[in-house]
Amino acid sequence: MRTEWLAVLAAGALAAPAYGCVPDLPGAARTLKAGRYSVAYRAVPDKLPVSQHFSLLIAVCANPGAPPLETVTVDAQMPEHRHGMNYKASIKRESASRYRADGLMFHMPGRWEIIFELRAAGRTDRVTQSEVIE
Amino acid sequence: MMRKPLCLVLFFAAALPWLSLANDGGVLDFTADELRRILQHGPWPQAWSHDPSNRVSGKRDAIDFGEQLFFENRLSGSGKLACGSCHVPERDWSDGLARGEGMQTVDRNTPNLVNVRYHRWYGWDGAADSLWSQSIRPILNEKELASDPKRVAELVRTDAELACHYTRTFGQPPAAVKDDEALLVDIGKALAAFQETIVAARTTFDEFRDALARGDRAAAARYSIPAQRGLKIFVGKGNCATCHTGPRFTNGEFHATGVSFFAGKGRVDPGRYEGIRELKSSQFNLLGPYNDDPARSTAVATQHVDLVQRNFGEFKVPSLRNAALTGPYMHNGQIGTLREVVGYYSEINVDRLHADGEQLLKPLKLTAQETDDLIVFVESLTDFRTNWKRSKGGEPTCK
Repeated sequence: MRTEWLAVLAAGALAAPAYGCVPDLPGAARTLKAGRYSVAYRAVPDKLPVSQHFSLLIAVCANPGAPPLETVTVDAQMPEHRHGMNYKASIKRESASRYRADGLMFHMPGRWEIIFELRAAGRTDRVTQSEVIE
Repeated sequence: MMRKPLCLVLFFAAALPWLSLANDGGVLDFTADELRRILQHGPWPQAWSHDPSNRVSGKRDAIDFGEQLFFENRLSGSGKLACGSCHVPERDWSDGLARGEGMQTVDRNTPNLVNVRYHRWYGWDGAADSLWSQSIRPILNEKELASDPKRVAELVRTDAELACHYTRTFGQPPAAVKDDEALLVDIGKALAAFQETIVAARTTFDEFRDALARGDRAAAARYSIPAQRGLKIFVGKGNCATCHTGPRFTNGEFHATGVSFFAGKGRVDPGRYEGIRELKSSQFNLLGPYNDDPARSTAVATQHVDLVQRNFGEFKVPSLRNAALTGPYMHNGQIGTLREVVGYYSEINVDRLHADGEQLLKPLKLTAQETDDLIVFVESLTDFRTNWKRSKGGEPTCK
């Protein structure tokens, strides 16, 4: 998998953002700033496959002043091809700060954008991350 | 997750000598990116394990019973048609017709059965999520075998040969199964066990791909230069490998490629859109009571498949293995030859594509030689030696 560093930087993503909290997720592949929260994730299996289902382990922490998180959703799209996934991911909350998204699939090689939406107190914070699937 | 595995790096280091070699008459000069893409189309055959949703998957008795059922005309409402009437072994388990001919002419081309054990979805619309549930569909479909659960169950209960096979396979006589639908599902599972054995043999492409993988230049040079040029187009400018991915040369999913979805006067074929609706409402899907796997371990796709408007007019991406034997092509058999298929994508009319459809498809504008090369490559994915014979000549085998 090739990293789209420019897109990562544009999304405000760093390995450990100095301007926010750091989610507790050992082995996290990405940590992203998502408005009032920070999100870290890693895939299961580690290498994102083409045309096979995979899961994401997700950890979220609230930056100072953020209200308690209500819901997390995960989706993905292929911007250049103008379509999303053929599947709708399900999310399970596994602990106060950990989630698991199942049922994702990238059915074509190329650039995908993973979309995280975090909802709390009537607002949604959204962050995207590019992944190139080969 | 985000780092290339060390083994991949080592592979490309090992492959470097290939990159520096110009065509010496035996092997073309493939870039590292092309090599990586080529290797993703193997090895073949793929690993496979028994289907946990089918308790008789992989069992010898079930395979024998399934073969018997596959050619059993009495499963049909008319008593004159069997699965094997349309899925003809000598025609690579298809029929060579544009549209299948059952009790009536159906709207779609008869898909071949080679490699069905690897599928995630079945049928051009993916309305079935297991091989056993797909095996039930044509039995009940009024245009295909036009039968019903009661007819099938009574046949298996009363015919000595079939009852014997059933008892061997499922451990109890069919007369002990009072529910006709449950017995029909068991028939589907035996049919599935047989079809799981239909796997394409290795091809000249597989020999080439594996030779590249092990760095065996002499073996790779046995693959023809036109096929190698066609392969370059396939993984390169043709963008074919975007949908025809992996060892089976399909991503197993659904796309609209501008092929007409008008099925006849005043009728349209909704394709995947209706397929998902049928799947979700079927008592035979993997979330239903007939799945033999309590963990539902193969039901992830069924649990998460999402019905959206763009599914209308989408059809499954067919595998290209044995494609030279499976014409006519497309979901409705409207294209007769491989050359015409390549011509279709070379000159594709983008005005026919969905407004919200795939943005990948653009006319390839292939030259005559590129067209020839691409066809030679696709033909190299075919095993022309197929010579399947019924075990014991189709004579009764159960006493």
